[in-house]
Amino acid sequence: MDVDEASTSNNSIAIESTQPNSRRHKAIHQFTQQSLPACKPVLSPGWVIGIFLLMGTVFIPTGFITLRTSRNVVEIVDRYDTDCIPESFRSNKVAYMKDSSLPKNCSRFLKIEKHMKAPIYIYYQLDNFYQNHRRYVKSRSDQQLLHGLKYNDTSSCQPEEFSNGHPIVPCGLIAWSLFNDTYKFIRGRSELRINRKNIAWKSDRDHKFGKHVYALNFQNGTLIGGGSLDPSIPLSDQEDLIVWMRTAALPSFRKLYGRIEEDLEADDVVVVKLMNNYNTHSFGGKKKLILSTSSWLGGKNDFLGASYIFVGSSCIFISLVFLLLHMKNPR
Amino acid sequence: MAISPNGETSERERERGERRHRTEYGGRGRKKKMNNPVIKLCACSTMKRYVYIKDDESSHDLYCANRISNTKYNVLNFLPKNLWEQFSRFMNQYFLLIACLQLWSLITPVNPASTWGPLIFIFAVSATKEAWDDYHRYLSDRKANEKEVWVVRQGIKTHIQAQDIRLGNIVWLRENDEVPCDLVLIGTSDPQGVCYVETAALDGETDLKTRVIPSACMGIDLELLHKIKASFFAESSVGSPSSISVVVLFFFSTPMQGVIECPVPDKDIRRFNANLRLFPPFIDNDLCPLTIKNTILQSCYLRNTEWACGVAVYTGKFLYSCCQGHIAKWNETKLGMSRGIPEPKLTAVDAMIDKLTGAIFVFQIVVVMVLGVAGNVWKDTEARKQWYVQYPEDGPWYELLVIPLRFELLCSIMIPISIKVSLDLVKGLYAKFIEWDNKMIDHETSTPAHATNTAISEDLGQVEYILTDKTGTLTENRMIFRRCCINGIFYGNETGDALKDARLLNAVASGSPNVIRFLTVMAICNTVIPVQSKSGNIVYKAQSQDEDALVHAAAQLHMVFFNKSGNILEIKFNASIIRYEVLEILEFTSDRKRMSVVVKDCQNGKIILLSKGADEAILPYAAAGQQTRTFIEAVEQYAQLGLRTLCLAWCELEEDEYQEWSLMFKEASSTLVDREWRLAEVCQRLEHDLEILGVTAIEDRLQDGVPETIETLRKAGINFWMLTGDKQNTAIQIALSCNFVSPEPKGQLLLIDGKTEDEVRRSLERVLLTMKTTTSEPKDVAFVVDGWALEIALKHYRITFIELAILSRTAICCRVTPSQKAQLVEILKSCDYRTLAIGDGGNDVRMIQQADIGVGISGREGLQAARAADYSIGKFRFLKRLILVHGRYSYNRTAFLSQYSFYKSLVICFIQIFFSFISGVSGTSLFNSVSLMAYNVFYTSVPVLVSVLDKDLSEETVMQHPQILFYCQAGRLLNPSTFAGWFGRSLFHAIVVFVISIHAYAYEKSEMEEVSLVALSGCIWLQAFVMTLETNSFTILQHLAIWGNLIAFYIINWIFSAIPASGMYTIMFRLCRQPSYWITVFLIVAAGMGPILSLKFFRYTYRPSKINILQQAERLGGPILSLGNIEPQARSVEKEVSPMSITQPKNRNPVFEPLLSDSPNATRRSFGAGTPFDFFQSQSRLSSSSYSRNCKDN
Repeated sequence: MDVDEASTSNNSIAIESTQPNSRRHKAIHQFTQQSLPACKPVLSPGWVIGIFLLMGTVFIPTGFITLRTSRNVVEIVDRYDTDCIPESFRSNKVAYMKDSSLPKNCSRFLKIEKHMKAPIYIYYQLDNFYQNHRRYVKSRSDQQLLHGLKYNDTSSCQPEEFSNGHPIVPCGLIAWSLFNDTYKFIRGRSELRINRKNIAWKSDRDHKFGKHVYALNFQNGTLIGGGSLDPSIPLSDQEDLIVWMRTAALPSFRKLYGRIEEDLEADDVVVVKLMNNYNTHSFGGKKKLILSTSSWLGGKNDFLGASYIFVGSSCIFISLVFLLLHMKNPR
Repeated sequence: MAISPNGETSERERERGERRHRTEYGGRGRKKKMNNPVIKLCACSTMKRYVYIKDDESSHDLYCANRISNTKYNVLNFLPKNLWEQFSRFMNQYFLLIACLQLWSLITPVNPASTWGPLIFIFAVSATKEAWDDYHRYLSDRKANEKEVWVVRQGIKTHIQAQDIRLGNIVWLRENDEVPCDLVLIGTSDPQGVCYVETAALDGETDLKTRVIPSACMGIDLELLHKIKASFFAESSVGSPSSISVVVLFFFSTPMQGVIECPVPDKDIRRFNANLRLFPPFIDNDLCPLTIKNTILQSCYLRNTEWACGVAVYTGKFLYSCCQGHIAKWNETKLGMSRGIPEPKLTAVDAMIDKLTGAIFVFQIVVVMVLGVAGNVWKDTEARKQWYVQYPEDGPWYELLVIPLRFELLCSIMIPISIKVSLDLVKGLYAKFIEWDNKMIDHETSTPAHATNTAISEDLGQVEYILTDKTGTLTENRMIFRRCCINGIFYGNETGDALKDARLLNAVASGSPNVIRFLTVMAICNTVIPVQSKSGNIVYKAQSQDEDALVHAAAQLHMVFFNKSGNILEIKFNASIIRYEVLEILEFTSDRKRMSVVVKDCQNGKIILLSKGADEAILPYAAAGQQTRTFIEAVEQYAQLGLRTLCLAWCELEEDEYQEWSLMFKEASSTLVDREWRLAEVCQRLEHDLEILGVTAIEDRLQDGVPETIETLRKAGINFWMLTGDKQNTAIQIALSCNFVSPEPKGQLLLIDGKTEDEVRRSLERVLLTMKTTTSEPKDVAFVVDGWALEIALKHYRITFIELAILSRTAICCRVTPSQKAQLVEILKSCDYRTLAIGDGGNDVRMIQQADIGVGISGREGLQAARAADYSIGKFRFLKRLILVHGRYSYNRTAFLSQYSFYKSLVICFIQIFFSFISGVSGTSLFNSVSLMAYNVFYTSVPVLVSVLDKDLSEETVMQHPQILFYCQAGRLLNPSTFAGWFGRSLFHAIVVFVISIHAYAYEKSEMEEVSLVALSGCIWLQAFVMTLETNSFTILQHLAIWGNLIAFYIINWIFSAIPASGMYTIMFRLCRQPSYWITVFLIVAAGMGPILSLKFFRYTYRPSKINILQQAERLGGPILSLGNIEPQARSVEKEVSPMSITQPKNRNPVFEPLLSDSPNATRRSFGAGTPFDFFQSQSRLSSSSYSRNCKDN
């Protein structure tokens, strides 16, 4: 062994001396000899306790800030799917929803608890609706949405590909099941102005949905799904469709309906005139209407804040445990 | 045949291939097709083959041409054959199946490209590697095939390429030529028909062997042979293969015909039972028996003989491809047959990975079945109500299969496609590290270490048994005469070199008769052949290195043995030439342990018997009245110094006494029954009343660092067996001097001997009993067995022997043949031990190939062993570094890399499974194709590759504490238990990522692409921190890979987010602008890493493994300070390790292993009862339970 080491040190000295300036050469030599300078961190108690303490001190305040932000968001949730069905049809909700001759209009009264600052976002929420179901999520044709009839390979749209032998634009189950409840908001006497523009992503309007693609043969079949589209407006301007086509990853999701661009005061009562068209009763889904303000974190969601506080306090706890262990049993 | 570099060569290749095809199959075209060439041979000539001496280029030859083809492919069959081979591996079949299923758009969750891309890449990589290897094989084959040899063709001696030699061709060799195929001699330049060959390549013996032409060929005198040389005219007629055909060899106008009847090729290099018959008009046309003495075998070298010629009897060469071990082709020469078939080697780590892969596969099937059923149930109960999904009432017949198959595809990533490529890559790098290692360069010959087999470095770290050759491996194989004792006077005691002892030089100069006689015995009592080299120096060709040393020493003391012509020996002593005529040689046998020569002094006609031999074979036969006490003392003294001793003796014979004895000797030599015994008896009659002249002491120097290396490796828990062809005493001496066994009284050697079955059995049982009973005493017990007893033991008492083998940490096997060496390796392997065989000569080749790891020493006995070995090193001492540094690191790294590969695949897969529960168990993929593919082949594969630079402990620490190797040997870093830890970790991380992503991105944010990318980011961040936590030493490359990868993740996703056509358009930009994204990611990291960090810290500090202890010692306290508290413990235990090893149970128990751990407290094999893990005790490996289990295996 002594011999080995002596010889190698000679060797490396030789290499270094022949190539004094060649850093690259030296690096390659170190690499081949597996002797690159390395830092070897040790899990010493000081470090570990310090890391946990640091994490705790960062996470707990962040958690409180996040939680506060979330709590400051004012949110009004109103479930209306059952309540909007006349008493006589309560026993057979599906029949009511399917009968197009029956009037679907319904009024809801929303009491504003706290001052809500504009813009106030109007969402509709669907629960137990599997927009992420494989059969559903695949049933669309992005190419057709962008190029219209010029693109005719729409086999992915099955089973809503053709109707009466003609291609459907926009094809597929997602478009076919377009959400078609509508809302009108009245405060006091006057109707609140709702901005229904710019509710979809700009990138979708510009690049995903064609400016010269018009709905064609849509909701023309024997089976009517959701809402219908105005065939005279290009798809890129049908923002409800664009929003709907952004499928949700969870079975319970909210989609933007519009924005109220004026503040709502506390104790205001907003009357919602809605058209309860969309059938969720056959699968036990819920429909909710949500009015919500927004923060830098988005809507009301206590999860992040609570988790931060939990993780932060766990870190403090762990660091204390380790500290105790270390003091009791120093190594 | 190979991938040819250009069209022209490939054309030639094909043509040659066709010709070969014709020669191989043409003659048997009419016969039933038979696939195995060897069977074909047997079929057409049952047990024998007839070789007709001829000189034409017969293309109707029955037997194969002398062509090497180690290549596996040619241009045409490369693609199909390579694909076929690749797809014969289970993993590849699996991936192909998955890739094919993905083509069915109804079930595929992602774009098929996400599997096809990596699959094609992986196949391309391994195909390229194969093609490259094969091309190199083709080149080396071509070199050997196109070597020029002289062969008589159409009566004219022509130069042809070695590959064109046919059976029956007469091949001419000149001095120092390599023999191209197995030949039967028919003529040499020597008037007595003798030639010398060096057979080092064949059996590892470096001395020259004499070979003689068969007696029948003696008739062909020199002149005739020269005429053959000048012109040969031949005609041939070859009949159908089964009937006897006659090849006529004309000799001028005189017809000469001959036939050699020889057995079907076998692998015995010491036996050749054949007959030669020359047809009229040769005088002697009786059947002439041929023995191995009449042959020269392939790859020997012709030495000291101007020329020789012979008839090719076996042709063909060793055909195998080193990496796959396919031997499908012809290999008839003795060399080829005796080399054995190298099997493809699979490391224990690979086997474990395969096992784990299998387990994951089973798990995957279970998951798929459960989810498949759940999916179908959900579909029938729930999905049909979801009107927007429009499930048809009546699906096609395969409807029930659709959902399970979707899940199969979704879960297919559980088995990471990248693992094979990653492993191949890092294994290649391990091999490179070995080759690059400056500390393993032999500076004497400047040979670096070389790794022929790049795939088995991990096994080096798991070696349990090392079987080593002695001469040339442990020793330098350079015998030097060191001391002597003449007539009671000790020479060389002061200087350590008798040749420099002034007293001896004076005695020689003054012509002291005792010294002169002593030197005479040294010079001529041997079978050495002196060769006058061109420069006038005398080179000795000796059968044994001892004789060589003696003759050299005598020459230095002015007694120069300079010529041997026939029976006359010529010695030059102080300018006077003394001649002796050798009358008889009483050869050395291992029973007699001595050899003698009877010579006649040509000057005075005296007949003298010169003897040399082991002390116990010489001293009892001293003449009555002679004092042998000083000689016994000398022998003891020298033996304690580890020198090899020989006693020299001398005895003058009366003329009539000799004559009388000579008759008896001749009679005994010609007996057919019990010849050896009779000869010994007759010899004994002459070898008595000897006058003891003195004792010589020869040193076979151990290589530098051998004792230290062996000590370190034994400390590391590796058992050493020495297998040598050498004498028992020498072997034991060497064993003592290199720490193999401790000297008395601590060590104990148990001898197994015996000539008959019964004796061997008794001896074996006695040894076994002693072994079992002495286990409680602190003794270093080793058993010694010789080749003969070993043969009997292996044949009749295999089970007892295996039991003994398992009990014994050390064994010395002497006088073993190459195939016995291989058998011993096999026995240990059959007990499920990892074996490493190290050797330097051709006689070690079989054992090297048989062992899990073969290491060759590129030493003085040529490169035979080094070529056959998986690794070749210049000196034995590099073995320490090879095992402790390279083997250990390789094992650790592969253990981490493979488990990490599974872990990261499982994380993503679990997330997919969880997601399926919130997507109606319909098999939707949360991640898109691009992300999935990039995750597997890029984001997680690149950083893990730099783990090849990770070092848990520095090299110095490992060298100081070789015990730490135990973790690798017992497979503590990669086994089902550690894997369970990783599995648990992946489950935990998947839950963290999934739960946090779907809650943080709920409601209005629950957009599919966004949630998917948030979850993916969470995974990538966790991977980075897992890598950081698991890395022991950070070099700049590790930082680059880990953090660079994280940055690369964002860059890649930004690029994809900038492409409008991609599904991820704008998503990444959108996310990066959201504070909630970053808050979510940090939450994932903290929640995912916090518990793991605290667990690791807890174990590291309060339940440390020995590795952790050394890490702490190395990094915190500095080696000297902190080693204090482990060193004494290690030392004191080490003293008792060897004895304890026998008593303690093989302590490799699976220990409870909590989840989320990486700690190695578990084992790859579970033996014995569940005693708690204790590192030092666990060095012991043997227990009654373990060996009984092992015995059952056999």
